[in-house]
Amino acid sequence: MHASPIIKLGGLSIDLSAVIMLTVTCVIVFVLARLAVRNLSVENPSKLQNFLEWVVEFVHNIVASAMDMRKGKPYISLGLTLILFIFVANLLGLPFAIVTDLPADTKVFGVVLEPTKDLAPGEHSDVLWWKSPTADLSVTAGLALMVFFIIHIQGLRLNRKHYLRHYIEPYWVFLPINIIENIAKPVALAIRLFANIFAGEVLIYAILKAGLFGVPFLAAWQGFSIFVGALQAFIFTMLTMVYIGQATTHEEH
Amino acid sequence: MEMLAAAIAVGLGALGAGLGNGMIVSRTVESIARQPEARGPLQTTMFIGVGIVEVVPLAATVIAFLIMFTS
Repeated sequence: MHASPIIKLGGLSIDLSAVIMLTVTCVIVFVLARLAVRNLSVENPSKLQNFLEWVVEFVHNIVASAMDMRKGKPYISLGLTLILFIFVANLLGLPFAIVTDLPADTKVFGVVLEPTKDLAPGEHSDVLWWKSPTADLSVTAGLALMVFFIIHIQGLRLNRKHYLRHYIEPYWVFLPINIIENIAKPVALAIRLFANIFAGEVLIYAILKAGLFGVPFLAAWQGFSIFVGALQAFIFTMLTMVYIGQATTHEEH
Repeated sequence: MEMLAAAIAVGLGALGAGLGNGMIVSRTVESIARQPEARGPLQTTMFIGVGIVEVVPLAATVIAFLIMFTS
Protein backbone atom coordinates (compact mmCIF):
# COMPACT_ATOMS: atom_id res chain seq x y z
CA MET A 1 0.00 0.00 0.00
CA HIS A 2 1.16 3.50 -0.67
CA ALA A 3 1.60 6.25 1.88
CA SER A 4 -0.27 9.54 1.73
CA PRO A 5 1.64 12.83 1.53
CA ILE A 6 0.52 14.19 4.87
CA ILE A 7 2.08 17.37 6.25
CA LYS A 8 1.59 18.72 9.74
CA LEU A 9 0.74 22.39 9.56
CA GLY A 10 -0.19 24.30 12.70
CA GLY A 11 -1.17 21.16 14.59
CA LEU A 12 -3.41 19.84 11.78
CA SER A 13 -2.54 16.95 9.47
CA ILE A 14 -3.22 17.92 5.87
CA ASP A 15 -3.26 15.27 3.14
CA LEU A 16 -1.80 16.99 0.08
CA SER A 17 -3.09 14.37 -2.36
CA ALA A 18 -6.66 14.99 -1.15
CA VAL A 19 -6.21 18.75 -1.59
CA ILE A 20 -4.76 18.34 -5.09
CA MET A 21 -7.41 15.84 -6.20
CA LEU A 22 -10.28 17.92 -4.81
CA THR A 23 -8.99 20.89 -6.79
CA VAL A 24 -8.74 18.76 -9.93
CA THR A 25 -12.32 17.53 -9.43
CA CYS A 26 -13.62 21.07 -8.94
CA VAL A 27 -11.84 22.28 -12.08
CA ILE A 28 -13.16 19.39 -14.19
CA VAL A 29 -16.77 19.80 -13.04
CA PHE A 30 -16.60 23.58 -13.48
CA VAL A 31 -15.14 23.34 -16.99
CA LEU A 32 -17.70 20.68 -17.94
CA ALA A 33 -20.59 22.82 -16.74
CA ARG A 34 -19.31 26.01 -18.37
CA LEU A 35 -18.67 24.27 -21.69
CA ALA A 36 -22.18 22.87 -21.65
CA VAL A 37 -23.85 26.25 -21.29
CA ARG A 38 -21.91 28.02 -24.05
CA ASN A 39 -24.14 28.88 -27.03
CA LEU A 40 -27.32 27.59 -25.48
CA SER A 41 -29.94 26.77 -28.08
CA VAL A 42 -33.50 25.46 -27.84
CA GLU A 43 -33.90 24.03 -31.36
CA ASN A 44 -30.36 22.85 -31.90
CA PRO A 45 -28.69 21.90 -28.62
CA SER A 46 -25.09 20.71 -28.62
CA LYS A 47 -24.41 17.21 -27.33
CA LEU A 48 -22.97 18.48 -24.07
CA GLN A 49 -25.98 20.72 -23.49
CA ASN A 50 -28.26 17.76 -24.16
CA PHE A 51 -26.32 15.62 -21.70
CA LEU A 52 -26.38 18.23 -18.96
CA GLU A 53 -30.11 18.82 -19.50
CA TRP A 54 -30.61 15.09 -19.02
CA VAL A 55 -28.63 15.22 -15.77
CA VAL A 56 -30.68 18.17 -14.51
CA GLU A 57 -33.89 16.30 -15.30
CA PHE A 58 -32.55 13.21 -13.57
CA VAL A 59 -31.81 15.23 -10.41
CA HIS A 60 -35.25 16.85 -10.70
CA ASN A 61 -36.80 13.37 -10.61
CA ILE A 62 -34.70 12.43 -7.59
CA VAL A 63 -35.87 15.49 -5.68
CA ALA A 64 -39.48 15.03 -6.81
CA SER A 65 -39.54 11.45 -5.57
CA ALA A 66 -38.35 12.57 -2.12
CA MET A 67 -40.46 15.65 -1.46
CA ASP A 68 -43.08 17.96 -2.93
CA MET A 69 -41.56 20.07 -5.70
CA ARG A 70 -42.73 23.39 -4.27
CA LYS A 71 -40.47 22.73 -1.28
CA GLY A 72 -37.92 20.86 -3.34
CA LYS A 73 -37.06 23.40 -6.03
CA PRO A 74 -34.11 25.01 -4.15
CA TYR A 75 -32.42 21.63 -3.70
CA ILE A 76 -32.04 20.80 -7.38
CA SER A 77 -28.78 22.77 -7.56
CA LEU A 78 -27.53 21.01 -4.42
CA GLY A 79 -28.40 17.64 -5.93
CA LEU A 80 -26.76 18.55 -9.24
CA THR A 81 -23.56 19.64 -7.50
CA LEU A 82 -23.42 16.51 -5.36
CA ILE A 83 -24.06 14.07 -8.17
CA LEU A 84 -21.61 15.64 -10.64
CA PHE A 85 -18.88 16.21 -8.05
CA ILE A 86 -19.10 12.73 -6.52
CA PHE A 87 -19.32 11.00 -9.91
CA VAL A 88 -16.25 12.80 -11.29
CA ALA A 89 -14.40 12.27 -7.99
CA ASN A 90 -15.14 8.53 -8.06
CA LEU A 91 -13.88 8.21 -11.63
CA LEU A 92 -10.58 10.02 -11.18
CA GLY A 93 -8.75 7.15 -9.49
CA LEU A 94 -9.56 4.63 -12.22
CA PRO A 95 -7.41 5.49 -15.25
CA PHE A 96 -4.07 5.83 -13.44
CA ALA A 97 -2.33 6.57 -10.18
CA ILE A 98 0.81 8.66 -9.65
CA VAL A 99 3.25 7.31 -7.10
CA THR A 100 6.63 8.84 -6.38
CA ASP A 101 9.58 7.33 -4.50
CA LEU A 102 10.73 9.96 -2.09
CA PRO A 103 13.95 9.89 -0.04
CA ALA A 104 14.10 10.65 3.67
CA ASP A 105 12.88 14.04 4.89
CA THR A 106 11.42 15.41 1.65
CA LYS A 107 10.06 18.88 2.15
CA VAL A 108 6.99 20.46 0.59
CA PHE A 109 6.41 24.17 1.28
CA GLY A 110 9.20 23.90 3.82
CA VAL A 111 7.40 21.26 5.87
CA VAL A 112 8.56 17.64 6.01
CA LEU A 113 6.26 15.00 4.52
CA GLU A 114 5.11 12.57 7.21
CA PRO A 115 5.86 9.28 5.39
CA THR A 116 9.46 10.38 4.79
CA LYS A 117 10.10 11.41 8.35
CA ASP A 118 11.77 8.47 10.06
CA LEU A 119 13.54 6.88 7.09
CA ALA A 120 17.18 5.86 7.13
CA PRO A 121 19.25 7.94 4.64
CA GLY A 122 19.19 5.33 1.84
CA GLU A 123 15.52 4.34 2.07
CA HIS A 124 12.63 5.57 -0.06
CA SER A 125 8.94 5.67 0.68
CA ASP A 126 6.20 5.30 -1.95
CA VAL A 127 3.89 8.29 -1.80
CA LEU A 128 0.59 8.31 -3.68
CA TRP A 129 -0.29 11.66 -5.25
CA TRP A 130 -3.16 10.89 -7.66
CA LYS A 131 -6.17 8.94 -6.38
CA SER A 132 -9.93 9.41 -6.11
CA PRO A 133 -10.55 12.12 -3.50
CA THR A 134 -13.52 10.11 -2.28
CA ALA A 135 -11.16 7.24 -1.43
CA ASP A 136 -10.21 9.37 1.57
CA LEU A 137 -12.46 9.21 4.64
CA SER A 138 -11.84 12.90 5.40
CA VAL A 139 -13.30 13.96 2.06
CA THR A 140 -16.45 11.84 2.32
CA ALA A 141 -16.84 12.85 5.97
CA GLY A 142 -16.63 16.49 4.83
CA LEU A 143 -19.40 15.94 2.28
CA ALA A 144 -21.53 14.09 4.84
CA LEU A 145 -20.96 16.84 7.43
CA MET A 146 -22.04 19.49 4.93
CA VAL A 147 -25.22 17.51 4.19
CA PHE A 148 -25.79 17.05 7.94
CA PHE A 149 -25.69 20.81 8.48
CA ILE A 150 -28.03 21.43 5.55
CA ILE A 151 -30.57 18.89 6.83
CA HIS A 152 -30.73 20.14 10.38
CA ILE A 153 -30.48 23.86 9.66
CA GLN A 154 -33.24 23.61 7.04
CA GLY A 155 -35.31 21.48 9.41
CA LEU A 156 -34.98 24.09 12.13
CA ARG A 157 -35.64 27.01 9.81
CA LEU A 158 -38.55 25.70 7.79
CA ASN A 159 -40.27 23.19 10.00
CA ARG A 160 -39.17 23.99 13.54
CA LYS A 161 -42.11 22.66 15.55
CA HIS A 162 -42.52 19.33 13.76
CA TYR A 163 -38.77 18.87 13.39
CA LEU A 164 -38.27 19.19 17.15
CA ARG A 165 -41.31 17.08 17.83
CA HIS A 166 -40.06 14.14 15.81
CA TYR A 167 -37.27 13.60 18.34
CA ILE A 168 -39.80 12.52 20.94
CA GLU A 169 -42.05 10.64 18.57
CA PRO A 170 -43.68 8.18 19.28
CA TYR A 171 -42.77 8.29 22.99
CA TRP A 172 -40.27 10.44 24.89
CA VAL A 173 -38.16 7.35 25.77
CA PHE A 174 -37.25 7.19 22.07
CA LEU A 175 -35.18 10.40 22.40
CA PRO A 176 -31.75 8.69 22.59
CA ILE A 177 -32.68 6.37 19.71
CA ASN A 178 -33.75 9.30 17.54
CA ILE A 179 -30.56 11.20 18.37
CA ILE A 180 -28.45 8.17 17.44
CA GLU A 181 -30.46 7.80 14.23
CA ASN A 182 -29.72 11.39 13.25
CA ILE A 183 -26.02 10.93 13.92
CA ALA A 184 -25.87 7.55 12.18
CA LYS A 185 -27.32 8.90 8.92
CA PRO A 186 -24.38 11.15 7.89
CA VAL A 187 -21.88 8.63 9.34
CA ALA A 188 -23.39 5.93 7.12
CA LEU A 189 -23.30 8.28 4.12
CA ALA A 190 -19.59 8.93 4.65
CA ILE A 191 -18.67 5.30 5.29
CA ARG A 192 -20.72 3.98 2.37
CA LEU A 193 -19.06 6.26 -0.18
CA PHE A 194 -15.57 5.84 1.28
CA ALA A 195 -15.76 2.04 1.57
CA ASN A 196 -17.07 1.54 -1.98
CA ILE A 197 -14.43 3.69 -3.65
CA PHE A 198 -11.53 2.70 -1.36
CA ALA A 199 -12.26 -1.02 -1.77
CA GLY A 200 -12.31 -0.51 -5.55
CA GLU A 201 -8.89 1.14 -5.48
CA VAL A 202 -7.34 -1.50 -3.21
CA LEU A 203 -8.63 -4.20 -5.54
CA ILE A 204 -7.04 -2.43 -8.51
CA TYR A 205 -3.77 -2.44 -6.55
CA ALA A 206 -4.21 -6.17 -5.79
CA ILE A 207 -5.03 -7.03 -9.43
CA LEU A 208 -1.96 -5.11 -10.64
CA LYS A 209 0.22 -7.34 -8.51
CA ALA A 210 -0.69 -10.21 -10.86
CA GLY A 211 1.16 -8.39 -13.64
CA LEU A 212 0.24 -9.10 -17.25
CA PHE A 213 -2.21 -11.87 -16.38
CA GLY A 214 -4.32 -9.36 -14.52
CA VAL A 215 -5.09 -7.15 -17.53
CA PRO A 216 -8.50 -8.67 -18.48
CA PHE A 217 -9.50 -8.67 -14.81
CA LEU A 218 -8.38 -5.08 -14.55
CA ALA A 219 -10.47 -4.06 -17.54
CA ALA A 220 -13.55 -5.82 -16.13
CA TRP A 221 -12.99 -4.37 -12.68
CA GLN A 222 -12.52 -0.83 -13.98
CA GLY A 223 -15.76 -1.12 -15.96
CA PHE A 224 -17.55 -2.32 -12.85
CA SER A 225 -15.99 0.52 -10.85
CA ILE A 226 -17.43 3.09 -13.26
CA PHE A 227 -20.87 1.63 -12.56
CA VAL A 228 -20.21 1.61 -8.80
CA GLY A 229 -19.02 5.24 -8.94
CA ALA A 230 -22.20 6.34 -10.70
CA LEU A 231 -24.38 4.27 -8.37
CA GLN A 232 -22.74 5.68 -5.24
CA ALA A 233 -23.13 9.26 -6.50
CA PHE A 234 -26.81 8.56 -7.17
CA ILE A 235 -27.33 6.94 -3.76
CA PHE A 236 -25.60 9.81 -1.92
CA THR A 237 -27.76 12.39 -3.70
CA MET A 238 -30.94 10.35 -3.29
CA LEU A 239 -30.43 9.78 0.43
CA THR A 240 -29.58 13.47 0.94
CA MET A 241 -32.87 14.45 -0.66
CA VAL A 242 -34.80 11.84 1.33
CA TYR A 243 -33.31 13.10 4.62
CA ILE A 244 -33.98 16.74 3.70
CA GLY A 245 -37.55 15.79 2.82
CA GLN A 246 -37.99 13.98 6.13
CA ALA A 247 -36.68 16.98 8.09
CA THR A 248 -38.57 19.72 6.28
CA THR A 249 -41.93 18.13 5.54
CA HIS A 250 -44.80 18.06 7.96
CA GLU A 251 -46.53 14.74 7.53
CA GLU A 252 -50.22 14.49 8.21
CA HIS A 253 -50.78 11.65 10.65
CA MET B 1 -2.71 -14.75 11.41
CA GLU B 2 -3.66 -11.38 10.00
CA MET B 3 -4.43 -13.01 6.66
CA LEU B 4 -6.83 -15.38 8.38
CA ALA B 5 -8.55 -12.55 10.25
CA ALA B 6 -8.90 -10.48 7.10
CA ALA B 7 -10.23 -13.47 5.14
CA ILE B 8 -12.82 -14.27 7.84
CA ALA B 9 -13.93 -10.63 7.94
CA VAL B 10 -14.38 -10.42 4.18
CA GLY B 11 -16.03 -13.84 4.03
CA LEU B 12 -18.65 -13.08 6.63
CA GLY B 13 -19.24 -9.66 5.12
CA ALA B 14 -19.73 -11.23 1.70
CA LEU B 15 -22.17 -13.72 3.20
CA GLY B 16 -24.25 -10.91 4.70
CA ALA B 17 -24.14 -8.81 1.54
CA GLY B 18 -25.04 -11.77 -0.66
CA LEU B 19 -28.03 -12.83 1.43
CA GLY B 20 -29.27 -9.27 1.89
CA ASN B 21 -28.92 -8.20 -1.73
CA GLY B 22 -30.40 -11.50 -2.90
CA MET B 23 -33.52 -10.94 -0.83
CA ILE B 24 -33.88 -7.34 -2.02
CA VAL B 25 -33.50 -8.11 -5.71
CA SER B 26 -35.68 -11.21 -5.63
CA ARG B 27 -38.57 -9.28 -4.05
CA THR B 28 -38.08 -6.51 -6.61
CA VAL B 29 -38.21 -9.01 -9.47
CA GLU B 30 -41.39 -10.50 -8.02
CA SER B 31 -42.95 -7.04 -7.71
CA ILE B 32 -42.03 -6.09 -11.26
CA ALA B 33 -43.58 -9.34 -12.46
CA ARG B 34 -46.77 -8.51 -10.60
CA GLN B 35 -46.89 -4.91 -11.81
CA PRO B 36 -44.70 -4.19 -14.85
CA GLU B 37 -45.82 -0.57 -15.09
CA ALA B 38 -44.27 0.24 -11.68
CA ARG B 39 -40.85 -0.80 -12.93
CA GLY B 40 -39.11 2.59 -12.67
CA PRO B 41 -39.84 3.41 -9.02
CA LEU B 42 -39.25 -0.23 -8.05
CA GLN B 43 -35.79 -0.24 -9.64
CA THR B 44 -34.94 3.04 -7.92
CA THR B 45 -36.04 1.70 -4.54
CA MET B 46 -34.03 -1.46 -5.17
CA PHE B 47 -30.82 0.49 -5.77
CA ILE B 48 -31.39 2.56 -2.65
CA GLY B 49 -32.00 -0.62 -0.64
CA VAL B 50 -28.81 -2.20 -1.99
CA GLY B 51 -26.88 0.94 -1.07
CA ILE B 52 -28.13 0.86 2.48
CA VAL B 53 -27.62 -2.88 2.99
CA GLU B 54 -24.09 -2.85 1.53
CA VAL B 55 -22.67 -0.35 4.01
CA VAL B 56 -21.78 -2.75 6.80
CA PRO B 57 -20.30 -5.55 4.61
CA LEU B 58 -18.20 -2.90 2.85
CA ALA B 59 -17.07 -1.54 6.21
CA ALA B 60 -16.05 -5.13 7.06
CA THR B 61 -14.04 -5.26 3.80
CA VAL B 62 -12.28 -1.99 4.62
CA ILE B 63 -11.46 -3.29 8.09
CA ALA B 64 -10.02 -6.43 6.46
CA PHE B 65 -7.78 -4.25 4.25
CA LEU B 66 -6.70 -2.28 7.30
CA ILE B 67 -5.82 -5.53 9.10
CA MET B 68 -3.82 -6.77 6.15
CA PHE B 69 -1.92 -3.67 5.26
CA THR B 70 -1.23 -1.80 8.44
CA SER B 71 -1.07 -3.96 11.61
